[in-house]
Amino acid sequence: MLQVRELIAGYGKVQVLHGISLDVPKGRLVTLIGSNGAGKTTTMRAISGMIRPSAGHISLAGREIAGLASHRVSGLGLAHSPEGRRVFPSLSVSDNLTLGAFPRLTYRRPRGDVDADRERIFEMFPRLRERRHQAAGTLSGGEQQMLAMGRALMLNPEVLLLDEPSMGLAPRLVGEVFRTLEQLKAQGITMLLVEQFAAAALHVADYGYVLENGRIAAHGPAAELRDNPAVRAAYLGAAH
Amino acid sequence: MEIFFQLAVSGVALGMIYAVIAFGYQLTFATSRTLNFGQGEALMLGALTGLSLAGQVGYWLMIPVVLVFGALQGYVVERLGVAPAIKSKSEFGWIMSTIALGIIFRNTAENIWGKDDLKFPSPLPESPLTVLGVHVLPMEILVVVGALLMMFAVEIFNRRSIYGKAVVATSNDRDAAGLMGINTGIVISFSYALSSLTAALAGVLVAPLTLTGASMGAVLGLKAFAVAIIGGLNSGLGVIVGGLILGIAETTTGYYLSTGYKDVPGLVLLLVVLAFKPAGLFGTLAIKKV
Amino acid sequence: MTVSAVLPRATGVRHITGLRLALGAAALLALAVFPVLVPNPYYVHLAALIAIYSVLLLGLDIVVGYTGEVSLGHASLFGVGSYTVGVLVFKLAAPFWVTLPAAIAITALAGALLALPALRVTGPYLAMVTLAFGTIVQILINEMDFLTSGPLGISLRKPAIFGHTLSASQYYYFVVAALCLTLLVVHRILRSHLGRAFEALRDSPVASDCMGVSVYRYKVYAFVISAALAGFAGGLFTYSEEYISPNTYSIELAIQFLLAVIMGGRKTRSGPVLGAAIVVMLPNLLSDLELFRSLALGLAVVVTSYAGYALLTRRRRLHELWVPVTLLIGMVIFSYGIEDMTDYRLTIFGLMILLVIYYLPDGIVGFVRSIAQQWRLRLAARTRVRHELQALQRAAGMAQPGHAAAPAPASPGPGTAAAHAQAAIHAGAPAADAPANILEVDEVLVQFGGLTALNRVRLQVARNAVHGLIGPNGSGKSTMMNVLTGIYRPTAGSIRFEGKSIGGRSSAQIAAAGIARTFQNVQLFGEMSVTENVLVGLHHSFASTLLDVLLHTPRYQREAQGARERAASILAFMGLAAFADEEARNLPYGKQRLLEIGRALALDPHLLLLDEPAAGLTAPDIIELTAIIRKIREHGLTLILIEHHMDVVMGICDRVSVLDFGNKIAEGDPAQVQSDPRVIEAYLGGTLESVGGVEPTAAGGA
Repeated sequence: MLQVRELIAGYGKVQVLHGISLDVPKGRLVTLIGSNGAGKTTTMRAISGMIRPSAGHISLAGREIAGLASHRVSGLGLAHSPEGRRVFPSLSVSDNLTLGAFPRLTYRRPRGDVDADRERIFEMFPRLRERRHQAAGTLSGGEQQMLAMGRALMLNPEVLLLDEPSMGLAPRLVGEVFRTLEQLKAQGITMLLVEQFAAAALHVADYGYVLENGRIAAHGPAAELRDNPAVRAAYLGAAH
Repeated sequence: MEIFFQLAVSGVALGMIYAVIAFGYQLTFATSRTLNFGQGEALMLGALTGLSLAGQVGYWLMIPVVLVFGALQGYVVERLGVAPAIKSKSEFGWIMSTIALGIIFRNTAENIWGKDDLKFPSPLPESPLTVLGVHVLPMEILVVVGALLMMFAVEIFNRRSIYGKAVVATSNDRDAAGLMGINTGIVISFSYALSSLTAALAGVLVAPLTLTGASMGAVLGLKAFAVAIIGGLNSGLGVIVGGLILGIAETTTGYYLSTGYKDVPGLVLLLVVLAFKPAGLFGTLAIKKV
Repeated sequence: MTVSAVLPRATGVRHITGLRLALGAAALLALAVFPVLVPNPYYVHLAALIAIYSVLLLGLDIVVGYTGEVSLGHASLFGVGSYTVGVLVFKLAAPFWVTLPAAIAITALAGALLALPALRVTGPYLAMVTLAFGTIVQILINEMDFLTSGPLGISLRKPAIFGHTLSASQYYYFVVAALCLTLLVVHRILRSHLGRAFEALRDSPVASDCMGVSVYRYKVYAFVISAALAGFAGGLFTYSEEYISPNTYSIELAIQFLLAVIMGGRKTRSGPVLGAAIVVMLPNLLSDLELFRSLALGLAVVVTSYAGYALLTRRRRLHELWVPVTLLIGMVIFSYGIEDMTDYRLTIFGLMILLVIYYLPDGIVGFVRSIAQQWRLRLAARTRVRHELQALQRAAGMAQPGHAAAPAPASPGPGTAAAHAQAAIHAGAPAADAPANILEVDEVLVQFGGLTALNRVRLQVARNAVHGLIGPNGSGKSTMMNVLTGIYRPTAGSIRFEGKSIGGRSSAQIAAAGIARTFQNVQLFGEMSVTENVLVGLHHSFASTLLDVLLHTPRYQREAQGARERAASILAFMGLAAFADEEARNLPYGKQRLLEIGRALALDPHLLLLDEPAAGLTAPDIIELTAIIRKIREHGLTLILIEHHMDVVMGICDRVSVLDFGNKIAEGDPAQVQSDPRVIEAYLGGTLESVGGVEPTAAGGA
């Protein structure tokens, strides 16, 4: 469903990604793990169009999207729940969700029933329903994360990108996030998950890629990666 | 005391004009952190076009045409002056280019309509009404009502329509808005079109009350700056309050001191607000993360 | 190949080369003989006007070209200076050596009144305030006719020296002398630490503040200096015209001044003079239709041919070219379509502004210089290729061992290295009663709205230690950095540095107290040279005032020389001596990081904070970095290191503190921390059970 080949990207003088390749098959949860500065968020941004890659190919359902602006990539069915959540603070919870369906409401994606989908999100995240009319900026970190994920789901995306959904959340909430990911996996949603919490990510994922200094250091079925020393080394240094 | 109320009432109408123009500044500043230094000229073009058209079709029918024209003008300003500057992240660029476009519009207006001021026929009777001992021109009431309606309409649009919400989203977080499938470039063009539209409306509202000519916009645009800063560049209520404060300050200064000094309170208030509460009376400053 | 042979001649070098000196002398000579060659009083008067405008524009360039702010009020400041002279002469018959200084002083005061409130917040506020000021001044001049004679204006005569009233051409020389004086003044200011401060605050405001250069203060200084010069020019203008009235000092004039500065070329001395000439000649140009038509046609032909060439050779694409070409062709058609220029003067003027803003952002002088630069680079590249070929031929010709192709650059002996280090780092011995812990962070709480970034964290950093601060993303490390350097204010708790409280103080104050830092995203002053970047860090070593700078007093010269020597030592210490004159933004990334550290050392800090210094570095760069950190520590400094590269942290840190969700969860020496299960969990997440009490799912097959 999503294929990345030899992606090279960076910011100005600094080249962060030195040619990475990965695959996200339909219906699977693939995770990209690695320590900070390794390039995980850069990868997500290059895929969703927030930054323009210098070279490489990205294809979504067979269609080349590398270098397209983010609003066009979204219109083609790729949803990105960004690092830091980035909900719209002055809009209500309900409005945030509605905006997630913007391409559907403006006829670039099949419209379907937006209200019904919003209800489904509320069922998945009951706390959001309680706060549906509150401004999103007043929500707690965990609630904002739920909102960001729900907002991305409102697109009915072909592929869902999740960038560090657990960042800055209290441990109990992290558990909730991963439980949600399990639910989504059960629903057959295709996901690419970037996480710092390697162990939890590898538990929930089908397949994993380990990113180190802008290159894929290891990859394989998640179960195998869990015991792979390369993973530990990537985070805590070779001495360990 | 009666005089003071009279001054206050005249000040209100004047203040609402300032508020509507300042509202236009807010629209573009919210989505793009830029504003149109030629906003006064947008008002002037609206007024003069309205004058010419009103001769053909009458005041009320002319209004929608002028609004469309204003929107187009705003779009042109954004495309020619603002978009390239945003791309090259040059603050200086959009300030100078919106000024330059303003100069061009003004000169063109001078060549089409001449340099002299013209009289704009008032659609409402010109004799003042007397309410509670104070004289009010019907046109002044129209100004206040029209301005409030305009701002109210935009508020409704922002809250109810999906496109309005897309605009608010762009003001909150441009990158995240792009991820939602919102073409933020179009949103910014739209906010400029809307901003000039409101200025054009302000033009046809204020024209019957004052002299209409190619130079009418410059000072109004400037006062509206003061109002935007006094009220706060990101508060709708702020510009209304700021407009009222400035309007009344000007009419009272003009009477009690001298008409020549009536433009001074604007600058003084501007400096005072910037010195003590730079975000404006109702505005909020954003925290910058490093 | 030595580094300096590989890199092109530095573009940032600003010392006066022989060529420049010759050009300057020629220009002065031309100025001197002008009234003799062209005795027509009209032209002499125009030349004087160009000189007067140049004085103002040199000042405006400091605000617009250096600090990057837009001022629409310089015509009114000009008017203030002008009327100060006018009123003093008219009312008090004061002599010029009273009126001109008075004009300078009063206009400077007006400038301060505007700048102090308007520059407190970033944004277009200065432009708006100066625009308002511009309108007010004209009105006030008109209204206060008891002082200014209002719209009637003021008439006076040229100044008298020793009883003799100057003639027009004598006054011309007077004005030219004033211009030369201004050039000297501006040159001295901009070459000094003040000029560096002006540039730095534009390139990176946050780094400026952390280097002790308060952005607000220096923006105000810049504006006040430019106001003083505008006042001076205004005063000269009054004597030149012998009649002044309020209409002159309009917004149109202010805009013309801005156009002149950008069209001439910012951050140069010749740019403002060229701009002045253009603006003064502009009305003449714009009223002569034939001249305008030929110029427009000529320009259109040149640009269209270049566009055709560029398209054919594929240097540019269509969408980049169609706008300027269409605009110029439109201008030609327009110029042939109209009969009378005066009605369209302002439109043409507006179009010129648009064209200059987008297509000539560095002005004419900048454009010429960049072309010269490109030629120089091409020449250097060709020379380098030639040298390489020669070296290859030589190497092929002598394949025997023992022949070196080129001698290796001499490495500095150990003696010089120590001397450099001594000079570079002035850590000094700590006072006898200094606390053992150089930094004590006590229960610091930092909250943003509802979010708690640091939750009552306690941290003690021992003197002369390398203390690591690690933790997953979002754990609060950067927040800690920012609170320690005054970018954030702690919501609660205290921070004591060398026993003194610093919580809540400004970045510039903290820098002065002895804490220096580097940034996660390198914040160098890109357009300045490597040496100049370090010199900004040495700003604190200058006690010289503006007067010292202008007069080049022995104190200033001593300080400037000392600073340069110190900067050279620091660069040698960091291994960057070869790049000394290179523009900082041209350096390879690894070297940029080292430069940032060098700049921080210039502050004479006792505590150095490094924010992810190894991010984005290649392996050899990291080795160099760790060596430098060790050297710095050996010279008595204390370091705090935020880093994700675990190898780096474990390799050089004495002690490591671990943050997670704004709390400190572990602390100890590197080995302890690395094997602490809580730390492992924080980074890797442990398993889901330890995190949220959830059964691990049956491992999903791929």
